[in-house]
Amino acid sequence: MATTIESTTSRVEQFGRRLPGKLWIHLGLVGSIGLMSTPLVLALVMSTQTTSEVYQVTNVGLGSQGLDNYWTALTEYGFGRYMLNSLVMSVVIVVGKVSLSLLAALALVYYELPYERAVFMFILLTLLLPVPVRIVPLFQLMADLGWTNTLLALTGPYVASATAVFLFRQHFMSIPASLVETARLDGVGPVRFLFSVLVPMSRGMIAGVCVITFIYSWNQFLWPLVAVTDKSSQVVQVGIRYIQGSAQSGLTQWGLIMAGAVLALLPPLVVLLAMHRPLLETFAIQQK
Amino acid sequence: MTAQSKPYSSTRQAALLLLPTFVVLVAFLYYPGIETFRLSLYETLFLGQQTAWVGAGNFVELAGSATYRHSFLITVLFAAIVVVGTLSVSLAISYMLFHVDVGSSTYLVAAIWPYALPPAVAAILLNFILHPNLGIFTHYLELLTPFTLDWFNSGPQAFALVAVVAIWKQLGYNVIFLVAALNNVPDTLSETARIDGVGHVRLLRKVYVPLISPTIVFLVVMNTIYAFFSTFPLVDLLTSGGPSNATNFLIFKLYRDAFEFSSLGLASAESVVLFVLVAVLMYVQIRISDEYAQYGA
Repeated sequence: MATTIESTTSRVEQFGRRLPGKLWIHLGLVGSIGLMSTPLVLALVMSTQTTSEVYQVTNVGLGSQGLDNYWTALTEYGFGRYMLNSLVMSVVIVVGKVSLSLLAALALVYYELPYERAVFMFILLTLLLPVPVRIVPLFQLMADLGWTNTLLALTGPYVASATAVFLFRQHFMSIPASLVETARLDGVGPVRFLFSVLVPMSRGMIAGVCVITFIYSWNQFLWPLVAVTDKSSQVVQVGIRYIQGSAQSGLTQWGLIMAGAVLALLPPLVVLLAMHRPLLETFAIQQK
Repeated sequence: MTAQSKPYSSTRQAALLLLPTFVVLVAFLYYPGIETFRLSLYETLFLGQQTAWVGAGNFVELAGSATYRHSFLITVLFAAIVVVGTLSVSLAISYMLFHVDVGSSTYLVAAIWPYALPPAVAAILLNFILHPNLGIFTHYLELLTPFTLDWFNSGPQAFALVAVVAIWKQLGYNVIFLVAALNNVPDTLSETARIDGVGHVRLLRKVYVPLISPTIVFLVVMNTIYAFFSTFPLVDLLTSGGPSNATNFLIFKLYRDAFEFSSLGLASAESVVLFVLVAVLMYVQIRISDEYAQYGA
């Protein structure tokens, strides 16, 4: 009993001694996160205002437009179309990249492969070739293939990835050898092995790669700008460029532009919030 | 895994599994990558209608161009500012996240959200808030300080604006890696240091930063590549390279030369310069992480 009381007092004392330090940390975190998020909060507020309300600079109350700016952006300024294009593009890239990379990793880890190291290096070396390094020939290639302005141009160059193959390979190598041995003794074919052993055991990693790839694809700007000139095939990030241009005649319709920006941000933000756990776990492996 | 325990041996099946990845990598990465080198040796005439062999001519032209040299220098300066700025701010935030006792996972998610922020959206949001005439931040800044915000006309201000947006957008990514690295530091080490009564700033500098330096090197490389390549939307939507080339970074100049002026040969030469840069950075990253792996730091 006495020890309990003693330890309680000491804990209270400790708490008292620690409080100022910890309080500062809370204040610091709330402050820095608040500062980081202020532009977003202001954008949300301003997206509900009329143009004249926006022009009263210090007016930070909810505006009289409600969600009208969102409706206008979606219907009159093509954001409905752009959002759909972005969604289709991102989903195709996610599905393509994950499938292709799983197959490649299966071959690298579970097949007796001649020149295995060279094959892996051949894949990894593409890390040296980000889009800006090959943008001119890639653009010409799309024109030669007749892919300009199509979904193929937006997705084709992105469906294979050194990073994804690397991550799946790392993960497969950490799967216990005994499981693989059992599969081998049972004479399980590679396709069944992939779907009934590897995929279920890699759920977290697959989810992580999906989140990272979705956010990365959705946020693309330069390549869609180059590969797509036809507005009806354009993605929402470049749509922001259009709405900024067309809302600028006379008084800039900032409420409308902010509504467009919020729309373009929502999908990746929601995906991040919903799936931050697999994302964090996957990044933890990527760095090694 | 040793070769013995590999369950499958059919080389043909393995090739088939690798085929889709190889086709995409060869067609859309290796082929255009090599093509960039070839094109960089040609001059484009009549808006891309004809080409003529010029050997190293495009590179000589770049080296001799005052605009390109300016662009190169301001890009290096910009990258340095973005790398240092991003790392300092995210290190401070990560250190607080590492020490917070209550609500740490909520704080973490709230602190990494800019990872999802599209660069184009980041640009347009700060364009509005820091707008010289309409920005609410501008309004209070000018009310409370003698400072006048006018990045439409001031080169240094435009440069600073793009840097602020670039840093803001990159914080989430950095915090993710730094928090993970700090959490891997053995508890005993920080306990010992705390008993010695070492202040937080010194503790961070003398104990934590050296311990997580592999992560910091990795982030320096990733942030540099980001500053060179991923800031195109920021320049495009905020400053269009101006005023008077103050934000005409390499990636923006490359885009303009290729797709506005149709100087495909010259633009390819600019791509080659960027390739050399990525190659050097990747090499540094691999060398340093190898060293750490070997000496177990």
